Amino acid sequence: MNLIGHWIRNFPEPQKVAITEAFDSASLAKIRRAARLLEKLDPEQRGSMLDVEFVSTFNLEPVLPVLQLALDCLPSRAHLHLAPLDAIESHISQSETTPLQETLHARVVAWRVEELFPELLYPFSSGFPKQLASRADEVVARIGRVVNLHQKNSKGVPLFLSTIPLPTNFSNPLFAAQDRDGLFGSVGRLNQEVYELATRNDGVHVLDLAAWATSEGRGHTDATLDLIARQPLSSRGQVAISLFIARCLRPLIIPGRKALAVDLDNTLWGGVVGEDGIGGLKLGHEFPGNVHLRIQRELLELRKRGILLVLLSKNNETDAREAFSELSEMVVKWDDFAVRQVNWEQKHENLRSAARELGLGLDSFAFVDDSDYEREQMRQFLPEVLILNENSDPLHTLRSLWETDAFDSLTVTEEDRLRHRDYTARAARDVEAHQDDLDAFLRSLRMEATIEEIGPSNMDRALAMIGKTNQFNLTTRRHSRSQLQTMLEMPGSIALTLRLRDKFGDQGIVGLLLAIPDKRNHVTLAVDSFLVSCRALGRGVEDALWAVMVNRAHRQKVKRLEAEYLATPKNGMVASLYDRLGLRRIEQNSSSTRYHMEPVGPYPFPTWISLANKSDEQ
Amino acid sequence: MNNSDPLLRLLIDFFNLPPDTGSQEIRQQAIASWDSLAMVQLIADLQGTFSVEFDLAEIEKLRSYDEIYRALSSKGVSFPSPTVSRPQRTVRDERDYSE
Repeated sequence: MNLIGHWIRNFPEPQKVAITEAFDSASLAKIRRAARLLEKLDPEQRGSMLDVEFVSTFNLEPVLPVLQLALDCLPSRAHLHLAPLDAIESHISQSETTPLQETLHARVVAWRVEELFPELLYPFSSGFPKQLASRADEVVARIGRVVNLHQKNSKGVPLFLSTIPLPTNFSNPLFAAQDRDGLFGSVGRLNQEVYELATRNDGVHVLDLAAWATSEGRGHTDATLDLIARQPLSSRGQVAISLFIARCLRPLIIPGRKALAVDLDNTLWGGVVGEDGIGGLKLGHEFPGNVHLRIQRELLELRKRGILLVLLSKNNETDAREAFSELSEMVVKWDDFAVRQVNWEQKHENLRSAARELGLGLDSFAFVDDSDYEREQMRQFLPEVLILNENSDPLHTLRSLWETDAFDSLTVTEEDRLRHRDYTARAARDVEAHQDDLDAFLRSLRMEATIEEIGPSNMDRALAMIGKTNQFNLTTRRHSRSQLQTMLEMPGSIALTLRLRDKFGDQGIVGLLLAIPDKRNHVTLAVDSFLVSCRALGRGVEDALWAVMVNRAHRQKVKRLEAEYLATPKNGMVASLYDRLGLRRIEQNSSSTRYHMEPVGPYPFPTWISLANKSDEQ
Repeated sequence: MNNSDPLLRLLIDFFNLPPDTGSQEIRQQAIASWDSLAMVQLIADLQGTFSVEFDLAEIEKLRSYDEIYRALSSKGVSFPSPTVSRPQRTVRDERDYSE
């Protein structure tokens, strides 16, 4: 239940209570009751649409109400589609022609030994070892074919391929482990193929049911139900698998937290540096210092994959710095923090100012602190911040870091891994900005923009930006891979990303502009999405993207450009962007403003950025 | 609804029946949604809620409140039921007492 506590935190109390009871009891009656209560909420409270198709070799139909509730809790307005039982290839082959393809956010393929490779349960009746080994070759090839079929027929729809759990109902378990071609070895081989396919193919992800089943233990299965209806899960198992699948799909619609703010004393080390002195701090390979060492390892791992670390400590900065430099066991270094707030101010105020400095929203932050007081204060003043730990025990803090889904993502891009460096450079830039006037400062950054079409090479980054950008985002439309693909394929659409280099290095892709032709009239182009990553705000990147788009539209003989600003609680910073860019207002109400302009070329390119591909300047 | 009878409560919730449904009314022939899919879901719910495992002969007989009650009782699950363990008598006893 801890996992979904923060998923459903914005639901009203009656719904929260019903959901908690439903999952705790695993009773279908209570699950249905919670689902009925959720249906009473407004669509905005229920989250975004999530269309998922399940294709499986075992019977998921009895589990659908549980899966539905788990996905509803993400939160999302989930639509579940169940393919006919055991018809994986034929179903996927037909899918190109079904209208569902347009809206599908994900396809899940779940299979198990009992149907995929039943001979493994009776090895000596099935020609162990030779025949069984060649049968394994066939099954491996079949898994690959399913992926190919999916990619051919459902281009752009993320595929979640399950691994194969070890079965629980079979005889001779000792022998099953003794031979490469026995039950366990062969299942391992099939699963290796699943991991290979996910590594080699963009948009193919692993739903690791094998790892899940191992951690759940035997209690998740029910042999009776399996024999009655080919539904192998106990009621508890149904809840557990549904929450697991929901967690795996969640990153498709809900971005992970981007930053973690941590406390120092009794978190990074045991003891209080200001009182115990550096010699009295506990950190090392022996208990309890090893708990803090492991916490530090987790933090460094987060930072290396692109989660920003922020230090929030009530201490004298000199004491804290000294501990970082003198404690030889420190894994996390002073410079690993993108922002350090070591002072005696309130932590929520320090976090607010760190968020401003990094250009992140408060709901991008998670927080860890051993003090009940600090956590409570954070909860009250900044409810958007997700608090990971619930008490002062360092062991509990370490467990929270192991178990949290706050930073979940299905892929880690190069941009993610370089993020810390970018933000550190940004902090340095901010300091310089005070010294000169803004124009001269921008010029001094020696910025160079590379404009690229959205295509296979930058698709993941484009989708990540569409899915995550909140502040500089004119329409906040969250497109799925297949929706984006459809727009890219419209003749006359202009879909651009902007990669920025400056004197600090390559900042990666930081801007995106997507304009699509009007269906009724091909000389009108409508801006669907226009966004700039928060780490490139205030640098005029948007002017560069806009100029390139307008010049292209002009060359394509577009007569009219239409654009709109759709207000959200977070994108107030761009409310008047189109006014500044010189578009004319044609319609306005409280939540949106519509604009138009005639693209006249050449539209001037900003003077403080140079363009790597010069042909776009005119 | 009889709040002290967890089986009755479970079945009323499970089939979304009116709260005052009597246990005698809960029979497969009388409830349209009690199909084979519901049967699988119900068995999972009963086994999970009462921590029991039904054997083959019992599963074939789980077609009404009374039959489920008997199957659970035979596995040592006990709770007061107005209709099965003490049919009618409980009601009459109460009336006598109040008079």
